[in-house]
Amino acid sequence: MKEGFRQSMAWLHTWTGLLVGWVLFAVFLTGTAAYLRPEISHWMRPELAAVSPGPHNAEVAMAAMQRLAPNAPSWFITLPEARENALRVFWRDPSSSGRGFRNATLHPDSGEPVAARDTRGGEFFFRFHFELHYLSVFWGRWIIIVCTMFMLMAIISGVITHRRIFADFFTFRPAKGQRSWLDGHNVAAVLALPYHLMITYSGLVIFMAMAMPWGMERAYPNPRQGFNAELSGNPPPRPRANAAAPLAPIGPMLAEAARRWDGGAPGRITVSNPGDAAATVQLVRAGHERVSTSAQSVTFDGVTGAVIAQSATPGPAAQMHGVVYGLHLARFAGPALRALFLLAGLAGTVMVATGCILWAVKQRQQALKSGRIGFGTHLVEHLNVAAIAGLPLAMAGFFWANRLLPLDLPQRAAWEIHAFFAVWALCLLHPLFRRGRRAWVEQFAAGAVAFALLPVLNFLVTDAHLLASAMAGDWLRVGFDLGLLVCGGLLGAIAMKVARHAPSAARRPAHSTRTAEAAP
Amino acid sequence: MTLLGLALAYAGFLALSLAMERHHEQVFAVRRIPVLRARLCFWGGWALLALSLLPPVAAFGWGLGLVVWTGLLTASAMPLALLLCYAPRVALCLGAAPLPAGLLALL
Repeated sequence: MKEGFRQSMAWLHTWTGLLVGWVLFAVFLTGTAAYLRPEISHWMRPELAAVSPGPHNAEVAMAAMQRLAPNAPSWFITLPEARENALRVFWRDPSSSGRGFRNATLHPDSGEPVAARDTRGGEFFFRFHFELHYLSVFWGRWIIIVCTMFMLMAIISGVITHRRIFADFFTFRPAKGQRSWLDGHNVAAVLALPYHLMITYSGLVIFMAMAMPWGMERAYPNPRQGFNAELSGNPPPRPRANAAAPLAPIGPMLAEAARRWDGGAPGRITVSNPGDAAATVQLVRAGHERVSTSAQSVTFDGVTGAVIAQSATPGPAAQMHGVVYGLHLARFAGPALRALFLLAGLAGTVMVATGCILWAVKQRQQALKSGRIGFGTHLVEHLNVAAIAGLPLAMAGFFWANRLLPLDLPQRAAWEIHAFFAVWALCLLHPLFRRGRRAWVEQFAAGAVAFALLPVLNFLVTDAHLLASAMAGDWLRVGFDLGLLVCGGLLGAIAMKVARHAPSAARRPAHSTRTAEAAP
Repeated sequence: MTLLGLALAYAGFLALSLAMERHHEQVFAVRRIPVLRARLCFWGGWALLALSLLPPVAAFGWGLGLVVWTGLLTASAMPLALLLCYAPRVALCLGAAPLPAGLLALL
């Protein structure tokens, strides 16, 4: 780099950002949607009524697992909380091959498997945002790790590059072509900078064992068990005794755990070797009660019900890890704070989008000076449309598939996801036939219509539509339907803004007319 | 309490922005800021921002309160940046929001 520090940082910022921008946009948008994971899952299972969780859920779950998997070596039970209306259980099936995990969603009052349509729900967006899809978990996560590293570099080099970070703190100048895109990029980045740094850095911390395993491998001869056991504070597993013995009732264990946690409630139950004399029952405190994810747990002897271990207060490093992890997931956030997280997540999405568009706008301006628009500029413009305008449409497609696919379709949940990618693939082809601004307007407008019509579709094909939900007092569903309308409105407003840009650009001097070609 | 924190942070950022010539011009159509007003806005702005930390910390404790406060800073500065350019008078009027928000918090 011959030009000096700031220029070389600007170069770094441009290229780290552009190379992975489209992946980052998808990660930010689906990750932001994942803040509403339970709400999305609830909406995508219209058969479920709202239920309020209670202390009886644990007993129901234990009884259900006795029926479902009496011979499994371990059960994992996630109890419902205010935002989650089902019991989620999974267990190891000794009769099946491979890792053999099986799972089920149970009604929290009856323990019967819920009769709801087969869907991944909000879980899909959550998974997609850190391991993509159609790829092995290993490669998906590695791609995300590399992109996140680039993101961190882009943030730091961006702050260094930004010459007037305080002077331009509140500055947004609309309708000025490239200037406006830069202003928008700056406002979205600077005003939510603590969030962007936190979410990027914590994302890397979550995958630290994958991205930077060397320290851990040196310090722990068997990192998988030693490191994780120390981090999670779990006692080492007890070997099976191979002598049958019934499980002790869960009620007194719950009471004992609540006493030790000052009234805190468990969120997860792990049972090892149920039905064996060496059975253990571990209660893990609910994640939404504390910022940190470092688990507080009490482990009981499964047969006598006596306490055999309690997680110690984690060391400073483990505590730090728990807080950073917890901040990323934001499970602790109540409605107001969750709204703030959503807003900051959207700011991140806008930051990435405006960054990608800004590159295309600049490039086109330079290309016009030299008289020739290169392949690279066309490619970036094309991918910008498909990523930025196409993804919301694909997400709407996912919701439409949830309502329209036949209920008895085999692999239904997978087909919902295929629909998501099919719509997105169409969005990738569409700009080949409709160039420039037209592609932007049409995809945003299609997204707006698709979102706005979802509540209508809901009215036509389910019994859980806006009116019925309001009558039943299921405010979560009501809120979600209204939220879909808001999404439709937002996309519609963007489409209008892009479409109207043409006449105003024509009135202004020549250079801004040209930039208008590259972007909305 | 969260609302009061949001209102205070907004008022603080508004005052800080009014100590800058560009935004002073957007709101009052005059680029030059009287010296006393500039100082008052600058220091008052920082004071209001510091004050905005108190409601979330009082409501949630230090750990969670700081997280909420950081979120409130973002949530107050973003609408301000947009209002200053699209509706500067509204931006100015909203600066009085701590009063009703404070009353609401007292109730």
